[in-house]
Amino acid sequence: MNQEQIEQYVAGKMSQAEAEAFEVHCLENPEFAKQVEFEQRLKAGLAQVARGSTAEFVRSNNPLRFRLAAAAAVVLCLSVGFYAFHASSGGSQPLLSAVSDSAPRTGPTMRLALVRGADTAPALQKGLVRVEIVGLFDTGVHYVVSLDRLEPKKEVDTLATLYAQHASTPMSLEVVIDSDRLERGAYSLRVRRQSSDEEALDFGFVKF
Amino acid sequence: MDFVPGGELTRRIREGDVSAESELIRQFEPGLRVLLRRRTGGDHGLLQDLVQDTLLVVIQRLRGPGIDDPQKLAAFAAQTARNLAIASLRKAERQRTDIDSDLTDRNADPSQGVDGLAADLEAALAVRALLRELPHARDRLMLKRFYLDDHDKELICEEMDLSEAAFNQALSRARRRFRQILEERGFSKRDLLSLGL
Repeated sequence: MNQEQIEQYVAGKMSQAEAEAFEVHCLENPEFAKQVEFEQRLKAGLAQVARGSTAEFVRSNNPLRFRLAAAAAVVLCLSVGFYAFHASSGGSQPLLSAVSDSAPRTGPTMRLALVRGADTAPALQKGLVRVEIVGLFDTGVHYVVSLDRLEPKKEVDTLATLYAQHASTPMSLEVVIDSDRLERGAYSLRVRRQSSDEEALDFGFVKF
Repeated sequence: MDFVPGGELTRRIREGDVSAESELIRQFEPGLRVLLRRRTGGDHGLLQDLVQDTLLVVIQRLRGPGIDDPQKLAAFAAQTARNLAIASLRKAERQRTDIDSDLTDRNADPSQGVDGLAADLEAALAVRALLRELPHARDRLMLKRFYLDDHDKELICEEMDLSEAAFNQALSRARRRFRQILEERGFSKRDLLSLGL
């Protein structure tokens, strides 16, 4: 068995008899099987990334573009910091805010994830709610998080937007919502990569 | 790891040698994962369950009546795994009370189940890291066309003006790096013996 046969098996291009013989060979040769499994996982990983955006495959390595992006990120961070300073000095909690490292981990929390087939939306509790958005994030880039109010037969109303947000882990991004400042109704947190035309991910929830 | 002949393992397991059962697990688990990964569409939880079920069935069979041709132990284990995968899909189909499309989705969409999601994320994260590291946009496009669009090597080489050697070299480099990224995150350190037998 060789690499070409691994490729054919993973691509599903073997006949049934060939595939069955290949599988028996895998059982008899565990190291070979591990090689095949990496090939299967590489294909699955590429498919998963491509489902989010094909931009990953076609981005340019132009260093000037990265320098500009970095400069833009610095400006945005400074802007956000300036805004946050003014907001905090005013004594009022913004409707939507970033989670700082020093923020206490006590208090209400809500977890938002894209669940296929789910027909109920999570409910936002009262007070300052720490919201964990579960997804696939790149900790090396900035994200924009917007809070939208959804009303039937009306345009989506964006209530607040946070720029330059970092995912705390590759699988979660956290923000804080001041629930007491929201009316009853349906809302959505929209997350997208900053400076990207990628489609945003919508995480719906309700406030009772 | 050298393959221990099926006849030898069969005899030792029948005689109650517990270490032979561990050897059987070490030998067959990677191959069963390959076989069942293809049939579970990335549902990691189901994959793990079926690997365990297969090993249990094989070991219990060897402890008891044995198999007709001990030299074909790997073929017996492979067929057991295929049968269990088919039975599992049929069971899921019978239990389905809502729309049927999910079952067919399972093969195309590996996002079913919490464990499945986690497994996909690991591979996707490694792919992202890999794509970031690849110096040439050409290499990324090549991976996409080969793995996702299922284009033949010859066509890709022709359209991207690549020699076959350069293509194979880039592909091999990407595979090695992908494996390294996954291993650095600890994915190759599974305890193969923790199957609870």
